[in-house]
Amino acid sequence: MFFLQTTLGVSSVLILGTLGMFFMAITLVSIVVFHQRRVIRFNKQIQKMEEERQQMLLRASIQFQEEERQRIAADLHDDAGPLLATARLYLNENLIHQEPALQLQSIFSAKQIIDDSIQLIRNISHSLMPPTLKNFGLEAAIKDLFDKINGSGVINSSARFHDNRQRLNDEQELLVFRILQELVTNIIKHSSAGFIHLTQNAQGNLVYFRIHHDGKGILQQDFEKMEQGSSGLGLKNIQSRIRVLKGKIYFEIDNTHTYYKVTIEVPREPVK
Amino acid sequence: MSYYLQSIQSEKTVYLFYTFTIVEYSFFCYFIYLILPKSGIKKSIPFIWIGFIVFALIDSVFINKDVGFDSFTSGIESIIIILFCIYYLYTQLKGANNLMIYSTFNFWVIITFLIYFCGTFFLYLMTASMHHNVSFQKQYFIINIAFNILKNILLCIAMTMKLSDTVNQQKSVIPKSGDEFFLNQKI
Repeated sequence: MFFLQTTLGVSSVLILGTLGMFFMAITLVSIVVFHQRRVIRFNKQIQKMEEERQQMLLRASIQFQEEERQRIAADLHDDAGPLLATARLYLNENLIHQEPALQLQSIFSAKQIIDDSIQLIRNISHSLMPPTLKNFGLEAAIKDLFDKINGSGVINSSARFHDNRQRLNDEQELLVFRILQELVTNIIKHSSAGFIHLTQNAQGNLVYFRIHHDGKGILQQDFEKMEQGSSGLGLKNIQSRIRVLKGKIYFEIDNTHTYYKVTIEVPREPVK
Repeated sequence: MSYYLQSIQSEKTVYLFYTFTIVEYSFFCYFIYLILPKSGIKKSIPFIWIGFIVFALIDSVFINKDVGFDSFTSGIESIIIILFCIYYLYTQLKGANNLMIYSTFNFWVIITFLIYFCGTFFLYLMTASMHHNVSFQKQYFIINIAFNILKNILLCIAMTMKLSDTVNQQKSVIPKSGDEFFLNQKI
């Protein structure tokens, strides 16, 4: 201070020092205010984007439910309805006035139609909730699904569970089943794949499911783009289910570019 | 405070300056202690306060008894208060608060202290050695009065913020008679 006073003079030191400190304080306050404004603006933007994303997922979920309802309604109306109406025709009031042989034939036909109706309703019920999944768990349900696909002869499919000693809880298994079902359906519909192979493994508290296929697949950026866009209802449903599971999903291609991989990571939750 | 120099000639009034500095510092420490979030710095405030009081007493009794103004103590006080203010602003930057910082009472009080102590830091530091210099005395008055006016304006803004906070709080209180009012209505 003494050095400054002797070289610059008292007034200069005082005025420069005061001005310097004052501007330092003003600059500091301005930086804080502007930085905070920027942070708040950024947070609001992120919040808005997140809200939009949630809205989109919610809309996709509602749309999916509506489509599912329409499908069930169509199945019941177009298949079960005519079948039961036909059975009613066979079992009309004139039946008692007919010959015993004709009566027997009508009853037999009606029985056959009712059996078909039961089978139809069972199929609808199974499509809503696979009985294998309910009774025997995810591994059995997935293997059953892959066996059915394999049985069609169109595509070669196989599933292998390496470490399923500690199962996911029922709710998680259903969600994982739906995700895998959707992925497999997508592969069959869009990829023209020759084979689909599913592998399951576990590490610590995490369970991994990986699907390989040799068709035309998508990558992570495509998934994110489609999931955020207005199309891709199935992918939106996958994403919303992954969120419920608190898991992750990765779409990749192998280094040799011969097959695509979809990996799902699911953290285990305690069995309820 | 604006008339330090007028009374600086009297040797006894130096103790008044020390008392003023200690009281001012104590109030500020209490205020910053109330508004800071839990941290090591907050815990250290009482110790820093005691340390400063001890230092001010030693300075007034043994070191600075013949000078006539507590420049050194005021300088230390300014540095501590400026650092506390900067720390408060830093905590506000770090915290994820969606409320605009300049709409709070605490912020305006803090920037009042920050600007006031930054502005008068050099002034008080030089007062003890320069109070006989006539040109310094003139500058002293101008700078001191200017920063005092600025301080008062900023504190007025802070008070306005406090008043608007109170009014908003009163507005958001649901009257207790609300339930009875709805229960007694004939539908």
